[in-house]
Amino acid sequence: MTTVHPGSTAEARPRSRVVAVAGPLTVAAGALGAAALLGRVDPHVPGFYPTCPTYALTGLYCPGCGTLRAVHDLWHLDLAGALSMNPLAVLLLPAVLASWAAWLARAATGRPRRWLAPPWVPTTLLVVVLVYWVLRNVPPLMPYLAP
Amino acid sequence: MSSYPPAQPPYNAPPPSWSGGPNQYYGPPPSNYLVWAILTTIFCCLPLGIVSIVFASQVNSKWAVGDTQGAYESSRKAKLWAIWSAIAAVILGAGYGLLLAFGLANADWSGVTTTY
Repeated sequence: MTTVHPGSTAEARPRSRVVAVAGPLTVAAGALGAAALLGRVDPHVPGFYPTCPTYALTGLYCPGCGTLRAVHDLWHLDLAGALSMNPLAVLLLPAVLASWAAWLARAATGRPRRWLAPPWVPTTLLVVVLVYWVLRNVPPLMPYLAP
Repeated sequence: MSSYPPAQPPYNAPPPSWSGGPNQYYGPPPSNYLVWAILTTIFCCLPLGIVSIVFASQVNSKWAVGDTQGAYESSRKAKLWAIWSAIAAVILGAGYGLLLAFGLANADWSGVTTTY
Protein backbone atom coordinates (compact mmCIF):
# COMPACT_ATOMS: atom_id res chain seq x y z
CA MET A 1 0.00 0.00 0.00
CA THR A 2 2.74 2.47 0.79
CA THR A 3 5.88 2.44 -1.27
CA VAL A 4 8.97 2.13 0.85
CA HIS A 5 11.87 4.07 -0.61
CA PRO A 6 15.38 2.74 -0.35
CA GLY A 7 17.20 3.86 2.75
CA SER A 8 14.08 4.40 4.80
CA THR A 9 12.07 2.01 6.90
CA ALA A 10 8.30 2.15 7.00
CA GLU A 11 8.37 3.14 10.70
CA ALA A 12 10.89 5.93 10.32
CA ARG A 13 9.00 7.83 7.64
CA PRO A 14 5.94 9.26 9.49
CA ARG A 15 8.04 10.74 12.30
CA SER A 16 10.48 12.38 9.90
CA ARG A 17 7.46 13.78 8.05
CA VAL A 18 6.30 15.57 11.21
CA VAL A 19 9.80 17.00 11.70
CA ALA A 20 9.86 18.13 8.07
CA VAL A 21 6.51 19.97 8.32
CA ALA A 22 7.70 21.67 11.52
CA GLY A 23 10.16 23.74 9.43
CA PRO A 24 7.69 25.61 7.22
CA LEU A 25 5.17 25.92 10.07
CA THR A 26 7.79 27.44 12.42
CA VAL A 27 8.80 29.93 9.72
CA ALA A 28 5.13 30.87 9.16
CA ALA A 29 4.57 31.37 12.90
CA GLY A 30 7.68 33.54 13.15
CA ALA A 31 6.69 35.61 10.12
CA LEU A 32 3.16 36.14 11.43
CA GLY A 33 4.53 37.12 14.83
CA ALA A 34 6.90 39.63 13.26
CA ALA A 35 4.12 41.04 11.07
CA ALA A 36 1.84 41.38 14.12
CA LEU A 37 4.58 43.27 16.00
CA LEU A 38 5.07 45.55 12.99
CA GLY A 39 1.32 46.09 12.85
CA ARG A 40 1.16 47.17 16.50
CA VAL A 41 4.44 49.11 16.84
CA ASP A 42 4.47 51.56 13.95
CA PRO A 43 7.80 51.70 12.06
CA HIS A 44 6.72 55.02 10.53
CA VAL A 45 7.55 56.50 13.94
CA PRO A 46 11.34 56.62 14.41
CA GLY A 47 13.02 55.32 17.52
CA PHE A 48 11.98 51.73 18.11
CA TYR A 49 13.39 49.95 15.08
CA PRO A 50 17.01 50.38 14.00
CA THR A 51 17.60 52.56 10.95
CA CYS A 52 18.71 50.64 7.87
CA PRO A 53 22.50 50.29 8.26
CA THR A 54 23.10 50.96 4.56
CA TYR A 55 21.06 54.16 4.73
CA ALA A 56 22.64 55.23 8.01
CA LEU A 57 26.16 54.74 6.67
CA THR A 58 25.81 55.92 3.07
CA GLY A 59 22.65 57.99 2.91
CA LEU A 60 21.50 55.83 0.00
CA TYR A 61 18.27 53.87 -0.07
CA CYS A 62 18.93 50.12 -0.37
CA PRO A 63 16.52 47.66 -2.04
CA GLY A 64 15.06 46.87 1.40
CA CYS A 65 14.49 50.38 2.72
CA GLY A 66 10.84 50.84 3.62
CA THR A 67 10.04 47.13 3.91
CA LEU A 68 9.12 47.31 7.61
CA ARG A 69 6.78 50.22 6.91
CA ALA A 70 5.34 48.34 3.93
CA VAL A 71 4.63 45.29 6.14
CA HIS A 72 2.99 47.59 8.71
CA ASP A 73 0.77 49.08 5.99
CA LEU A 74 -0.12 45.63 4.63
CA TRP A 75 -1.04 44.46 8.14
CA HIS A 76 -3.58 47.31 8.17
CA LEU A 77 -4.68 46.39 4.60
CA ASP A 78 -3.27 49.65 3.19
CA LEU A 79 -1.95 48.37 -0.14
CA ALA A 80 -1.37 51.86 -1.59
CA GLY A 81 0.66 52.85 1.46
CA ALA A 82 2.72 49.65 1.24
CA LEU A 83 3.42 50.21 -2.46
CA SER A 84 4.59 53.76 -1.74
CA MET A 85 7.06 52.46 0.87
CA ASN A 86 8.68 49.57 -1.04
CA PRO A 87 6.93 48.57 -4.28
CA LEU A 88 9.40 45.77 -5.11
CA ALA A 89 8.92 44.05 -1.73
CA VAL A 90 5.14 44.15 -2.16
CA LEU A 91 5.33 42.80 -5.72
CA LEU A 92 7.63 39.95 -4.65
CA LEU A 93 5.43 38.92 -1.72
CA PRO A 94 3.11 36.62 -3.77
CA ALA A 95 6.16 34.74 -5.10
CA VAL A 96 7.50 34.32 -1.57
CA LEU A 97 4.15 32.99 -0.37
CA ALA A 98 3.91 30.58 -3.33
CA SER A 99 7.41 29.30 -2.61
CA TRP A 100 6.46 28.74 1.04
CA ALA A 101 3.38 26.77 -0.05
CA ALA A 102 5.52 24.60 -2.33
CA TRP A 103 7.96 24.01 0.56
CA LEU A 104 5.09 22.94 2.82
CA ALA A 105 3.74 20.63 0.11
CA ARG A 106 7.14 18.99 -0.40
CA ALA A 107 7.55 18.53 3.35
CA ALA A 108 4.05 17.11 3.79
CA THR A 109 4.26 14.65 0.92
CA GLY A 110 7.95 13.79 1.31
CA ARG A 111 8.47 14.19 -2.42
CA PRO A 112 11.78 15.76 -3.44
CA ARG A 113 12.00 18.96 -5.46
CA ARG A 114 11.14 18.15 -9.07
CA TRP A 115 11.38 21.51 -10.77
CA LEU A 116 13.95 24.26 -11.02
CA ALA A 117 13.10 27.57 -12.67
CA PRO A 118 14.87 28.32 -15.98
CA PRO A 119 18.14 30.24 -15.46
CA TRP A 120 16.76 33.55 -16.72
CA VAL A 121 14.38 33.79 -13.73
CA PRO A 122 16.98 34.33 -10.96
CA THR A 123 19.24 36.26 -13.35
CA THR A 124 16.41 38.66 -14.20
CA LEU A 125 15.62 39.05 -10.53
CA LEU A 126 19.25 39.94 -9.80
CA VAL A 127 19.20 42.61 -12.52
CA VAL A 128 15.85 43.93 -11.29
CA VAL A 129 17.11 44.27 -7.70
CA LEU A 130 20.30 46.07 -8.79
CA VAL A 131 18.46 48.43 -11.18
CA TYR A 132 15.84 49.07 -8.49
CA TRP A 133 18.62 49.95 -6.04
CA VAL A 134 19.99 52.58 -8.45
CA LEU A 135 16.65 53.98 -9.61
CA ARG A 136 15.23 54.59 -6.13
CA ASN A 137 18.18 56.90 -5.47
CA VAL A 138 17.57 58.93 -8.65
CA PRO A 139 15.82 62.14 -7.52
CA PRO A 140 13.10 62.27 -10.24
CA LEU A 141 12.03 58.71 -9.41
CA MET A 142 12.19 59.04 -5.61
CA PRO A 143 8.50 59.95 -5.21
CA TYR A 144 7.63 56.53 -6.68
CA LEU A 145 10.41 54.18 -5.62
CA ALA A 146 11.97 55.60 -2.43
CA PRO A 147 10.21 55.18 0.92
CA MET B 1 17.14 6.53 -7.56
CA SER B 2 17.07 9.69 -5.49
CA SER B 3 20.35 9.31 -3.66
CA TYR B 4 22.57 12.11 -2.36
CA PRO B 5 24.97 12.98 -3.81
CA PRO B 6 23.39 12.15 -7.16
CA ALA B 7 25.01 9.37 -9.11
CA GLN B 8 27.36 10.33 -11.88
CA PRO B 9 25.66 10.45 -15.26
CA PRO B 10 26.65 7.78 -17.73
CA TYR B 11 28.94 8.67 -20.60
CA ASN B 12 27.30 10.92 -23.21
CA ALA B 13 24.06 11.16 -21.25
CA PRO B 14 21.98 14.17 -22.31
CA PRO B 15 21.94 17.08 -19.84
CA PRO B 16 18.69 17.46 -17.92
CA SER B 17 16.38 20.18 -19.11
CA TRP B 18 15.68 22.98 -16.63
CA SER B 19 12.19 21.65 -16.07
CA GLY B 20 13.27 18.04 -15.87
CA GLY B 21 14.66 16.09 -13.00
CA PRO B 22 14.80 14.22 -10.86
CA ASN B 23 15.83 11.70 -13.40
CA GLN B 24 17.60 8.48 -12.65
CA TYR B 25 21.03 9.93 -13.40
CA TYR B 26 20.94 13.25 -11.60
CA GLY B 27 18.54 13.00 -8.69
CA PRO B 28 16.41 15.98 -7.63
CA PRO B 29 17.68 19.49 -8.41
CA PRO B 30 19.24 21.39 -5.49
CA SER B 31 17.48 24.28 -3.82
CA ASN B 32 18.75 27.66 -4.99
CA TYR B 33 17.58 29.34 -1.74
CA LEU B 34 16.46 32.24 -3.93
CA VAL B 35 13.61 33.19 -1.60
CA TRP B 36 15.97 33.35 1.39
CA ALA B 37 18.34 35.45 -0.72
CA ILE B 38 15.49 37.85 -1.57
CA LEU B 39 14.29 38.00 2.03
CA THR B 40 17.77 38.77 3.39
CA THR B 41 18.24 41.43 0.69
CA ILE B 42 14.92 43.07 1.44
CA PHE B 43 14.84 42.66 5.23
CA CYS B 44 18.50 42.84 6.22
CA CYS B 45 19.20 45.91 4.14
CA LEU B 46 22.74 44.81 3.40
CA PRO B 47 24.53 44.13 0.12
CA LEU B 48 25.35 40.60 1.39
CA GLY B 49 21.96 39.35 0.18
CA ILE B 50 22.92 40.33 -3.37
CA VAL B 51 25.80 37.82 -3.24
CA SER B 52 23.32 35.13 -2.27
CA ILE B 53 21.14 35.99 -5.29
CA VAL B 54 24.20 35.66 -7.54
CA PHE B 55 24.89 32.13 -6.26
CA ALA B 56 21.19 31.28 -6.50
CA SER B 57 21.17 32.14 -10.19
CA GLN B 58 24.32 30.02 -10.65
CA VAL B 59 22.42 27.01 -9.28
CA ASN B 60 19.83 27.27 -12.06
CA SER B 61 22.28 27.98 -14.87
CA LYS B 62 24.66 25.17 -13.86
CA TRP B 63 21.82 22.70 -13.43
CA ALA B 64 20.45 23.67 -16.85
CA VAL B 65 23.72 22.73 -18.59
CA GLY B 66 24.07 19.49 -16.65
CA ASP B 67 26.75 20.63 -14.19
CA THR B 68 25.22 18.78 -11.24
CA GLN B 69 28.28 19.05 -8.99
CA GLY B 70 28.60 22.77 -9.66
CA ALA B 71 24.90 23.35 -9.04
CA TYR B 72 25.14 21.68 -5.61
CA GLU B 73 28.25 23.72 -4.79
CA SER B 74 26.50 27.00 -5.74
CA SER B 75 23.46 25.90 -3.72
CA ARG B 76 25.68 25.48 -0.64
CA LYS B 77 27.21 28.95 -1.14
CA ALA B 78 23.82 30.60 -1.70
CA LYS B 79 22.65 29.12 1.61
CA LEU B 80 25.81 30.25 3.45
CA TRP B 81 25.60 33.85 2.20
CA ALA B 82 21.92 34.09 3.08
CA ILE B 83 22.74 32.89 6.62
CA TRP B 84 25.67 35.31 6.97
CA SER B 85 23.50 38.14 5.74
CA ALA B 86 20.85 37.32 8.35
CA ILE B 87 23.47 37.00 11.13
CA ALA B 88 25.02 40.35 10.16
CA ALA B 89 21.58 41.98 10.35
CA VAL B 90 20.94 40.47 13.80
CA ILE B 91 24.33 41.66 15.06
CA LEU B 92 23.75 45.19 13.72
CA GLY B 93 20.26 45.23 15.25
CA ALA B 94 21.56 44.01 18.61
CA GLY B 95 24.38 46.56 18.49
CA TYR B 96 21.83 49.32 17.88
CA GLY B 97 19.77 48.04 20.81
CA LEU B 98 22.86 48.12 23.06
CA LEU B 99 23.68 51.68 21.95
CA LEU B 100 20.14 52.71 22.83
CA ALA B 101 20.32 50.93 26.19
CA PHE B 102 23.52 52.74 27.14
CA GLY B 103 22.21 56.05 25.85
CA LEU B 104 24.95 56.37 23.27
CA ALA B 105 22.42 56.66 20.47
CA ASN B 106 19.45 58.92 20.76
CA ALA B 107 16.03 57.50 20.10
CA ASP B 108 14.95 60.96 18.99
CA TRP B 109 16.51 61.23 15.58
CA SER B 110 15.70 64.89 15.06
CA GLY B 111 15.82 65.63 11.38
CA VAL B 112 16.05 61.94 10.48
CA THR B 113 12.50 60.79 9.90
CA THR B 114 13.44 57.50 8.30
CA THR B 115 13.55 54.29 10.21
CA TYR B 116 14.08 51.04 8.45
